Amino acid sequence: MSEPAPQIDDLTEWQRLDPRMLLVHPVKEITRFLVPLVAVFVAGQASGGGAPWELLGVLFPVALGLMRYLTTSFRIAGGRVELRRGLLDRHVLSTPLDRVRTVDLTASPIHRLLGLTTLRIGTGTIATGEDDELDLDGLPTERARALRADLLHAAPATEVDPDADLTPQPPVLTLDLAWLRYAPLTSSGAVVTAGLLGAAGQVFGATGGIEVDSRTWDLGMPGWTVVALGVVAIVVLVSAVSVLGYLVTNWEFSLTRGPGAWHLRRGLFTTRETSLDESRVAGVTVAEPLGLRLAGGGRLSAIVTGLGAGQAGSSVLVPPAPREVLVRVAGVVLGTDSPAHAPLTGHGPAARRRRWTRAVGTAGVLGAALAVAVLLAGGGWWAVLGLGLPLLAVPVAADRARSLGHALSDGYVVARSGSLARRRDHLDVDDVIGWNLRATWFQRRVGLTSLVATTAGGRQSVTILDVPEPQAVALADATLPHVVRQFLA
Amino acid sequence: MARFEDVDPTPTPTLREPGQRVSPRARLMWQISNLVEGVVSVAILGAAAAVWDAVDLTWWMATIGLLAVAVYVGVVPQWRYLVHRWEVTETAVYTQTGWWARERRIAPMSRIQTVDYAESPVARLFGLATVTVTTASAAGALQIAGLDRLRARELVDELTLRADAVEGDAT
Repeated sequence: MSEPAPQIDDLTEWQRLDPRMLLVHPVKEITRFLVPLVAVFVAGQASGGGAPWELLGVLFPVALGLMRYLTTSFRIAGGRVELRRGLLDRHVLSTPLDRVRTVDLTASPIHRLLGLTTLRIGTGTIATGEDDELDLDGLPTERARALRADLLHAAPATEVDPDADLTPQPPVLTLDLAWLRYAPLTSSGAVVTAGLLGAAGQVFGATGGIEVDSRTWDLGMPGWTVVALGVVAIVVLVSAVSVLGYLVTNWEFSLTRGPGAWHLRRGLFTTRETSLDESRVAGVTVAEPLGLRLAGGGRLSAIVTGLGAGQAGSSVLVPPAPREVLVRVAGVVLGTDSPAHAPLTGHGPAARRRRWTRAVGTAGVLGAALAVAVLLAGGGWWAVLGLGLPLLAVPVAADRARSLGHALSDGYVVARSGSLARRRDHLDVDDVIGWNLRATWFQRRVGLTSLVATTAGGRQSVTILDVPEPQAVALADATLPHVVRQFLA
Repeated sequence: MARFEDVDPTPTPTLREPGQRVSPRARLMWQISNLVEGVVSVAILGAAAAVWDAVDLTWWMATIGLLAVAVYVGVVPQWRYLVHRWEVTETAVYTQTGWWARERRIAPMSRIQTVDYAESPVARLFGLATVTVTTASAAGALQIAGLDRLRARELVDELTLRADAVEGDAT
């Protein structure tokens, strides 16, 4: 590295990041300051003064970038990673090597152009802000890879077998372009399109928009045709955006098993490599939102100890893909095929009835309120719409009732619930920290309880909804026998 | 502590309640704080209704309000007192809280990360304290409210000693 600044009292030296960042920082700063820069430019043009102001507008970001480079340094000493940054407000971030849970290598297009990458260390603390993240931005790609290997091996939780085969293994999973068909069925495409349409609307609004006079507006076709065409156009647009989004995010997706860790790689423009410490993978979740499920697909993510729900992006094991692929990868990651295949024990008639009363009952009350409101407002026959609401809830209730189930299979607690966003969690029994049994008066009356396994990863808990109490207690007892047995009646 | 041999191996196991109750003074504390809460809420609702003149205050509205406060003060704290229980053994902490929704939480001693002792200003008036036991899961904290202050202190010392005796980082 350039200009290492040796510390007298410590043999391990503070070092700067790669000097090529001097090129990256100004570009990033200029994009960040794009709006004020344009304003400065326009103001400069208007006042006729010109050059000096515009120059200042470019020099300022460059100076900021230089400052950032000069004031940031890191070292690995005494079993800790330390990152020092800031000019006026000095920050020293420090974390023990054995707390490293994940290592992320992210490279934006400009980083890739220069052969650099950003190394992010995930330690499992709930970071409160951008300043608390341990980012080494950036390092030469080869050096970052070597450092990642060192960091993951230094964590004592990973016991690497010295005789293990260190040659790269074939990936467990690589992206199949046929999976693109699932992209339009995810909600992300719709969200992005809505955002784009909203932004476009803002621009139109700001520029005066298109004046439409509904009396003279005539497209030469009936109104219904226009509406139908509009719907088709939106569907095509959403699908296109979804497919593009899927490609950009998951281009060259691959999941590989390295010594003691899982490596995930993906991204078209910005590449991202995530390494998950193998011993921290507490389980996997199969998410099957309704759209994907109807097409026979789903998504797989890992429950990683120390990674909260906020860092969920780091734990996607399989992007939207066919069910068989999810189940196969789940088997490989868990080290056993049975949990993902295990037949689930249903929760009985009382639990199913509860799904029905909760879905249809709620919709019925809402629908009735809507009907009354419409009638009071003089809407007349439109009140019938309110009665349609419970009808819509019927298939949801039936599906929710059918989804309920749990199992204890080969050392994993398996739980499934939900309809529109159905999920099946597989959690290692050793990662169950405790059990919560929650029951309202209604649930107690019919002998049900919601059983919650608490854990240190992902969403922090796995809920088994509305289990008959004896089954719940038996399951808790089977997973933590030395703990639960003493409290049995 | 019930030994396994004593347990009848029935096919329908049930959890028993934790052994210890919280301090009876907790009931009085909950009654008084619920009374204050209830009266303030009803007063705010009444004042808002009078100021904005949205609805005509009728006798039955006032009756419902007073009835709700009466139940909140007369029934809920007693119910909660009957539900709130806790137990600490060599290997685990077991709590039961709530009233309408009852929640039982069991955490192994080996997974305990921190033991918190807190006295809110109101609790201090009654010589009570709250002990919170946290684990590595954000969903797994066990809270025992309304403990006698001295008893709570003892409990904290006991839990700290026992949790310390276990190796590992409790995740």
